[in-house]
Amino acid sequence: MFGVHEKYIETEESKNSPDKLLKFLIEKEQGAWVELLNSKDSIRVAINQEVSDWDAVLTDGDELAFFPPITGG
Amino acid sequence: MTICIQKDLFDIEKIISNLRKNKPTIGAVVSFIGYVRDYNKDINTNKLKQMELEHYPGMTEKALVEIELNAKTRWILEDIFIIHRIGTLLPGDPIVAVVVASQHRKNAFEACEFIIDFLKTDAPFWKKEISDQDEVWVQNRVEDNRKKSSWNLENE
Repeated sequence: MFGVHEKYIETEESKNSPDKLLKFLIEKEQGAWVELLNSKDSIRVAINQEVSDWDAVLTDGDELAFFPPITGG
Repeated sequence: MTICIQKDLFDIEKIISNLRKNKPTIGAVVSFIGYVRDYNKDINTNKLKQMELEHYPGMTEKALVEIELNAKTRWILEDIFIIHRIGTLLPGDPIVAVVVASQHRKNAFEACEFIIDFLKTDAPFWKKEISDQDEVWVQNRVEDNRKKSSWNLENE
């Protein structure tokens, strides 16, 4: 969807949830991030490789992942 | 308990014989194997040429360990082996195997179904179907979520 597997993001401390960070990325870069916002209901969030939610608190150095519905097996 | 994520083909006979080695208490082994179909009639009638399987390294292993541990708290089991392939697969290729060993068949049957149901919704793998006409990321099935929820309901 985004054409990148990973990306390092530096931001202010106030953008400390997946939701706030996504809004920050949209302001900064637009593009595919807008698409992500539009499909937010079907996108899952993981922090440090564990399923989390959009309002969870992010701390410095956390690994955040946005991904589409799982289709393995 | 073993978890394996690999590109290579697996040998189910070898997996089962390794699992049973030195474990005379095992009285039942149940295995589920998932294969690549040559087309997915739900979304696309184009004949499948190949499938690309991606995953989220690190999280995948964690999710599978979690599923195994949950199965072990529900049933008395001797051993569990989960293997999932990634990369390029062709129609007819095996994608996944879940092998569960127990003393009696009931536990192995139920745990095997439980594990594959949760793998389908909780382990971060994604399939892309490639035909001569197009490339489509597979959509998740409502049925899979329903199947998973049915286990949770039993819990309550």
